[in-house]
Amino acid sequence: MSLTTTPTSAPPESPRSPVARFIDVAARGHRSIPVLVVLAIIWIVFYSQSPAYLSFRNITNLTLQIATTAILALGVVFVLLVGEIDLSSAVLSGVCAALAAGLAVNSGLPLGLAIVVAILAGMAITLIEALVITFGVPSLIVTLGGMVILQGLILVVLPPEFTVSVAGTPFAKIASTAIPAGTSYLLAAVATLAFAAYRLYQFRERLSTGTRTSPIAVLIPAVVAGVVLFGGVFILTRQRGLPMPVLIVAVMLLIAWYFTTQTRYGIHLYAVGGDREAAQRAGVPVRRMVLYSFLILGACAAVAGMIDASRQLGVSVTSGGGPLMLNAIAAAVVGGTSLFGGRGSIWSAILGALVIGSISNGVQLLGLTTEVQYFATGAVLIIAVAVDVVLTRGSLWPGRR
Amino acid sequence: MSLLELTKISKHFGGVRALHEIDMSVHPGEVVALIGDNGAGKSTLVKIVSGVESPDTGEIRVRGESARLVSPKAAADAGIRTVFQDLSLCDNLDAVQNLFLGQERYGPIWTGRRIRRHVMEEQAQRILESLSVKLRSLSTPVVALSGGQRQGIAICRALISDPAVVILDEPTAALGVSQRGEVLDLIHRLRDQGRGVVVISHDMKDVRQVADRVVVLRLGTKVAEFRRGEYTPSDLVSAMTGAHEEGPVQ
Repeated sequence: MSLTTTPTSAPPESPRSPVARFIDVAARGHRSIPVLVVLAIIWIVFYSQSPAYLSFRNITNLTLQIATTAILALGVVFVLLVGEIDLSSAVLSGVCAALAAGLAVNSGLPLGLAIVVAILAGMAITLIEALVITFGVPSLIVTLGGMVILQGLILVVLPPEFTVSVAGTPFAKIASTAIPAGTSYLLAAVATLAFAAYRLYQFRERLSTGTRTSPIAVLIPAVVAGVVLFGGVFILTRQRGLPMPVLIVAVMLLIAWYFTTQTRYGIHLYAVGGDREAAQRAGVPVRRMVLYSFLILGACAAVAGMIDASRQLGVSVTSGGGPLMLNAIAAAVVGGTSLFGGRGSIWSAILGALVIGSISNGVQLLGLTTEVQYFATGAVLIIAVAVDVVLTRGSLWPGRR
Repeated sequence: MSLLELTKISKHFGGVRALHEIDMSVHPGEVVALIGDNGAGKSTLVKIVSGVESPDTGEIRVRGESARLVSPKAAADAGIRTVFQDLSLCDNLDAVQNLFLGQERYGPIWTGRRIRRHVMEEQAQRILESLSVKLRSLSTPVVALSGGQRQGIAICRALISDPAVVILDEPTAALGVSQRGEVLDLIHRLRDQGRGVVVISHDMKDVRQVADRVVVLRLGTKVAEFRRGEYTPSDLVSAMTGAHEEGPVQ
């Protein structure tokens, strides 16, 4: 890991060079760098096989395909960060989607109310799981059992014909709504300006106490945010407008970013995952932090399930089944979140989901067989964790530090 | 007036007598070393003073006032901070986050308790400087730091609440020679700040180097107390092992 060379004992007025500052930021963000490299390689490989891969249309498709995985992976990241694991949230997403669709379509409840009920139901179920986990049963077992129970529950929640169609209902509009380009650019502009203003506020705060800082700390993040937001809006509004699921993912990431990196909650979240006993001794409410993570996962699962149901135009017994759970965990881990807690960031959810989604999208686009997709996804997962092991250990070979 | 005064502290675990009528005091600007063989009762005494365990009988006075140290928080509030041997640092957090863990400076609830990082960093800077702990960056995870730096951060964390007494449990165990020197310097600076320092150690060299007074425990009782310069290493060893009572072996 690269370190800056300015000693902290130097007088506060000695400014840290922008270069040193930049290296410091890069070193802290290093966990995202391998996955960005992997993503670039995947894109280059598929693009060289078929230029249609990086067409506006296909990229828009890709973002729609990964929205469900990304949102579920976001919840999984919170659980992994406190050093737990979850296997039940994919099936839970199916249960919540079945509940919401049943209430909105069959029972005629207003859509908004159905959505709220589904999210609360998801949180209630993960709360029960979390209570058993904080009681002392390993989360692997609790959520494995929970997964099986939820597979039964989805049969209970679904009507006797075991399927709810949402085609032509307001429920289907969740995924199919497109935000017009003009509004999208406006949103991007507001978000970029707000972010820049927040960074500027922090910069002035630090000046007021004489803490080391530099205008670079405002400029670079603001420019990166602007490029990502405007670039994303430019690409994704080429077809019909910005797809609603993309906006939902973006808003959830923004909220998650703020709470995990800017608040006391975030520090406690990482502390619990880093060293549970040390956190406990320092007065961090460890059990409560584990509960919070599972509640967030429950809400994420519900949202992911409803977006998926809206996109698939219906809910059935297979909703939330298939490779969704493993894809969500793999996405979190490929993105750089450690399975052992305390390391990683919320960006790993979206980056990891992009990697996994890019592979399956490319394989389908090229008309390759499904086994190729499985081979590639599995290999990327193992390679990503190997890179993570090397970075954590700080050495290429075992037995050294 | 002594900062910390223990009078006739006793503690039993079931039928086992862990401590028997221990008297001990710590004065401002004084380093007291607490030594003893395994099972002598050092850890039990530390746990009592840091609020982890309660004594069965006896009195604890902090700055002359009777104190009931029923929890680690109560001990901290009374002005006693303990740095445990394992340091209790979160490896994945940086120096500032570790220093303020559980005592963060944060904004109002509508900001989601936003961390006031600039305030914490400025305060961290001052405390680290006061003990001359040198870090290359305040935002490096502490896992990347040396053993001496980690010990320094753990001690500085104890200073956040400006305690009267700092208790260090085996501060030099598992440190290399130069880092050991760093930590002994830290102890001297704590003393020079006018705090009372209690050092638990079984390293005779450390004890001779830093301690103004040495309290020797054996099998739960205080068997000896020496002032700086009034003892030889063999005095300490014979007090710890009880050799002076039983006579030379063989």
